[in-house]
Amino acid sequence: MLWLDEMHVRRAGTHALRGISLTVGAGEIVALIGSNGAGKTTTLATVSGLLRPQSGTLRFQPDAGAASLSLATMAAEQIVRAGISHCPEGRQVFAALTVAENLRIGAYLRQDRAAVERDAAEIEAQFPILAERAGLPGDKLSGGEQMMLVIGRALMSRPKLLLLDEPSLGLAPRLVEHVFDILERLRAEGMTILLVEQNASMALEIADRAYVMEAGRIVLSGTGRELAGNSDIRRAYLGAA
Amino acid sequence: MTSAYILSQIANGVILGSMYALVAIGFTMIYSIVRLINFAHGDIFTIGAFTTLACIALAKLPFPVAIVVVVAAGALTGMVIERIAFRPMRGAPQVTGFIASLAVAIFLENLAVMTISAQPRTFLVPDYLNGLVDLGLMSVRMIDLMIVLLAIVLTIALVLFVRFTKVGVAMRATAENYDVARLMGININRMIMLAFAIGSGLAAVSGLMWGSKYGQISPFMGLLPGLKAFVAAVIGGVGSIPGAVLGGYLLGLSEVLFVALLPPEYSGYRNAFVFGALIIVLLVMPNGLLGRNTEARA
Repeated sequence: MLWLDEMHVRRAGTHALRGISLTVGAGEIVALIGSNGAGKTTTLATVSGLLRPQSGTLRFQPDAGAASLSLATMAAEQIVRAGISHCPEGRQVFAALTVAENLRIGAYLRQDRAAVERDAAEIEAQFPILAERAGLPGDKLSGGEQMMLVIGRALMSRPKLLLLDEPSLGLAPRLVEHVFDILERLRAEGMTILLVEQNASMALEIADRAYVMEAGRIVLSGTGRELAGNSDIRRAYLGAA
Repeated sequence: MTSAYILSQIANGVILGSMYALVAIGFTMIYSIVRLINFAHGDIFTIGAFTTLACIALAKLPFPVAIVVVVAAGALTGMVIERIAFRPMRGAPQVTGFIASLAVAIFLENLAVMTISAQPRTFLVPDYLNGLVDLGLMSVRMIDLMIVLLAIVLTIALVLFVRFTKVGVAMRATAENYDVARLMGININRMIMLAFAIGSGLAAVSGLMWGSKYGQISPFMGLLPGLKAFVAAVIGGVGSIPGAVLGGYLLGLSEVLFVALLPPEYSGYRNAFVFGALIIVLLVMPNGLLGRNTEARA
């Protein structure tokens, strides 16, 4: 569904990505792990069109059989329209918008009003807190509630591919588990997910495949299970001796 | 000092406040979406006044049609200025945009002096606008009534637009965070241009009102009302549309009452009073009356 090949990105004068190649297949959860500053967030920002690659290819095929698109030349809004939704790092709920508005702005490009309302109602049924707090400013929700809100917001565009940047950041362990349950449920419903995580053990637990990044390069890849069992990974990222 | 005198002065304050409020709304909208203090905003007010003159004296258009043309001319000018002068500055430090806006202001003023001369022009509105309307407690000129009603209608329409429409929500989202707005599929350039169009359209209408009320316009007429509308926006809380409206009316009322209630020898200090009031409000409430604590965009 998503192919990155030898992608280079410069960001604020530094060579942030030095030839990234990875693939995400339809229906997979693929995790991107690695330490701070390795380039994980930059990778997602380039896929969603916030940054432009210097070189390399970046292709996306929304559906099997559909023509594949070169994302490198597309504007962020066209990429959303093509079926990629990006939950940015730090959740980034809009404080100036109510909870209900935050949810619905995810469907900004959709014209089918009635279906948008149905989708919003469905998400509110899954996360009842969003309906209870519908009129509050977005930033008045707790961290966990905000996470539900931004996942809901990202789903409102009816994406084919969901990009998630550090969903566990700043959440209590119980909530992190809840978020990962939601991701597994989404996969079961057919969603494809590219997940960036510092919490490598949780990420490897649910990921079908994973890539390890270091200083703008991919240094290791494999299935989630393989990497979770790799002794270097265990030492570097999983806190095991 | 009779109560009729005070009443008519209050009416004058409300009229002046209506004109400040419309300009202040543009200041606040543009600031909140691009963090730019647009000192060329007062010149849009001037452009509005001259466009009105052209519509009435040259094109002989009916006054209501002139209003529509003026809004369109203001909006278009605002969009062109945004595209040419401010978009290339996007991402530059705040002070760069500020200096660019001063350059635009100086350019527009000198362009006006070169093409239409610095000579003030008299400004004649249709006779029916000078007729008196009896409001029971007092009678006012038709133009004064029109100024206040038009300002109220436009303000309410704008607040409803920003509050309840999808594009209004997208504008608020863009003002808060460009990147996240882009991730929602919002074209932020279009939202920024729209904010300039709306703000500039309102400033141009205010220029139309000013010319219609005072009967004289000049290329530099926008300077002082522009500065005072900026003060109104700051007093109300920069970034808040209701704040800009509140600030505009408070400023208009207090300025008129300052002149009306004090002995005549103090009236020369009205501008000093306005800027003094700004300093006091900022000392007591640094974010203005209705402003939220907004830090500069990173």
